[in-house]
Amino acid sequence: MFLKSFFLLLVIIPVNSAFAEISVIDDFGDKVVLKSPAKRIVALYGAFNEILFAMDLDDRIVARTAGDDYPAQIIKLPSIGTHMRPNSELIVALNPDLVLQMAGRSQAKTALEPLKERGIPTAMFKVTSFEDLYSLIWKIGTLTGEPKRAEKLVHSMIGRLDKVKNKYSKIKDKPEVFFEIRYPNLLAAGQGSIVSDIIVKAGGDNCVDNPKKIVRMGEEELLRLNPENYVYQSGRMNQSPVVPSDRAHFKMIKAVRSGKVLKVDESVFSRPGPRNVDAVETLADFLYNKN
Amino acid sequence: MEKRRVRAVAVLFFLVPVSVFAACLFGAYDTSVAQVYDVFKSAILGGVESSESSLSYIVTDLRLSRVCLSFLVGMSLAVAGTVYQGILRNPLADPFTLGVSSGAAFGASLAIFSGSTVLGAGLWLKFGSLFLPLAALAGAMAALGAVLMLGRIGGTLRRETMVLAGIVVATFLSALISLLKSLDEDSVTSIVFWIMGSFQGRGWEHVTLFLPYFIAGMIPIIYYSRELDILSLGETQARHLGMDVSRVRLFLLVGSGLLTGAAVAVSGIIGFVGLIVPHLVRMFQGAEHRPLLLSSSLLGGLLLVWSDVIARSLLPGGEELPVGVVTALLGGPFFCIVLRGGFRGARS
Repeated sequence: MFLKSFFLLLVIIPVNSAFAEISVIDDFGDKVVLKSPAKRIVALYGAFNEILFAMDLDDRIVARTAGDDYPAQIIKLPSIGTHMRPNSELIVALNPDLVLQMAGRSQAKTALEPLKERGIPTAMFKVTSFEDLYSLIWKIGTLTGEPKRAEKLVHSMIGRLDKVKNKYSKIKDKPEVFFEIRYPNLLAAGQGSIVSDIIVKAGGDNCVDNPKKIVRMGEEELLRLNPENYVYQSGRMNQSPVVPSDRAHFKMIKAVRSGKVLKVDESVFSRPGPRNVDAVETLADFLYNKN
Repeated sequence: MEKRRVRAVAVLFFLVPVSVFAACLFGAYDTSVAQVYDVFKSAILGGVESSESSLSYIVTDLRLSRVCLSFLVGMSLAVAGTVYQGILRNPLADPFTLGVSSGAAFGASLAIFSGSTVLGAGLWLKFGSLFLPLAALAGAMAALGAVLMLGRIGGTLRRETMVLAGIVVATFLSALISLLKSLDEDSVTSIVFWIMGSFQGRGWEHVTLFLPYFIAGMIPIIYYSRELDILSLGETQARHLGMDVSRVRLFLLVGSGLLTGAAVAVSGIIGFVGLIVPHLVRMFQGAEHRPLLLSSSLLGGLLLVWSDVIARSLLPGGEELPVGVVTALLGGPFFCIVLRGGFRGARS
């Protein structure tokens, strides 16, 4: 996978130098063309800012969404409204030379329309695995004219993941993990989410066998799955979740009975970004070190 | 009519235990009839089955509690609908006419919304999974109080002012819910799903929470069920017969308000049951209120038990539909068929 990404980089660089303009195909097949490396970037989703910070390119970020608070320095920047309803007037006023959007909801694309009309370059990405994440980082490297920093970031992420891999490389039966996105009205992470890839990279097995990103689920199905490890997130989707052992119907689950329950930070696990590596390390520690 | 009525009630009474057992057979977990039967037998005869076994837990704590709760909620909604249709002399009246449901929905929305604040987070921790129904219940009771106070403007409890007060309160509360939704986008889906009505994740604690309100609401309705017949003749006629119309109306409204409020608090808003069940029963056995209330409550309970079975077993992979969607999908077409048949029967 690393080789593939590296190959991608080799292809992109000569193109750039030959035409003296920067172009990238975003995750929806649209060609994004910039005359010069992006200097004023507005991200409609906080994950992009995290990536830019991790590449030491925070001077390129000119705004944040109302909900962004990581890294702490970002709070100083002006807000362009919420992730769900960005204010195009505020964005245009900031005079950005690149607007980044994350796909997810059907309205994600509509938010970009008024910006495109004004000729502001936009790019939309979809991240459901580490593979996608590396590709996104490479593309941001290209768009900002800093491919070396992208390479460095991807390198360090892969290196850390390989280290985690050593912990469980000899183990054949991967422990089952259930990841709760929200409760009540239980939502679980399906196979099509970055969380699922985090579980795999941490040496676990996502027991929710559904190709969707988010899976609605009754308590009875949860009891049927009867996972060995229960991970629940706390954050904007799951505000002040009750401890599973205090919930009706949860006491019968294997994980709750044996105490293999982990509470994690939503923004580290569910939001695609460099911190997903922290998520893998945390989860691997939980699965393999504290038995 | 009398014979038909007795037969109908007998059939309904027979269907209740059968349905309670049969509804416990459905769910994501694979269970055979014999296994469920064994669990029931040992539960009734006090067998020595260990409570650790997940099969008996699923049957008694997940399924049976849900079946009981949906039966009680269905009963309450059908009874409240019957009472409202009788008092307000309006065939369109349903349990949600007086805005009690909007009150409950606002209470629940506020609880969901408050999850992001320090105070709300503390309350969530303290009450756990019962915080939501408790908040909804408080909202329902506050709305009921507000409607009754508004409706009494001018001294007596008038039919028209009641309906208007209900609409005003419901509209205002809906606006407040929209305000909460637009202030906190992350809780929108939680609020929407709560409002659609579901028995997912409900257990015996919800039955315990519901039961006192069920009993307190049923008492005045049963006590004044004959007066409902007189009231449906019209206010003047009832007054001429020497009835204290205002007082009877108040008790009946409070009774059905308690039923509705508690029902919505534990399950969310489940439409159609309270509207169509009384009409259906009236077509089969006439409009006399005491038998009407009895049959409606049984039919309402049964309808909701089976709607919930559909809601939890229709989608693969343990996904659930909101039961309010199922009742509306079943209720609409079914009612149309019965309505046509009913009219044809009346004409011939």
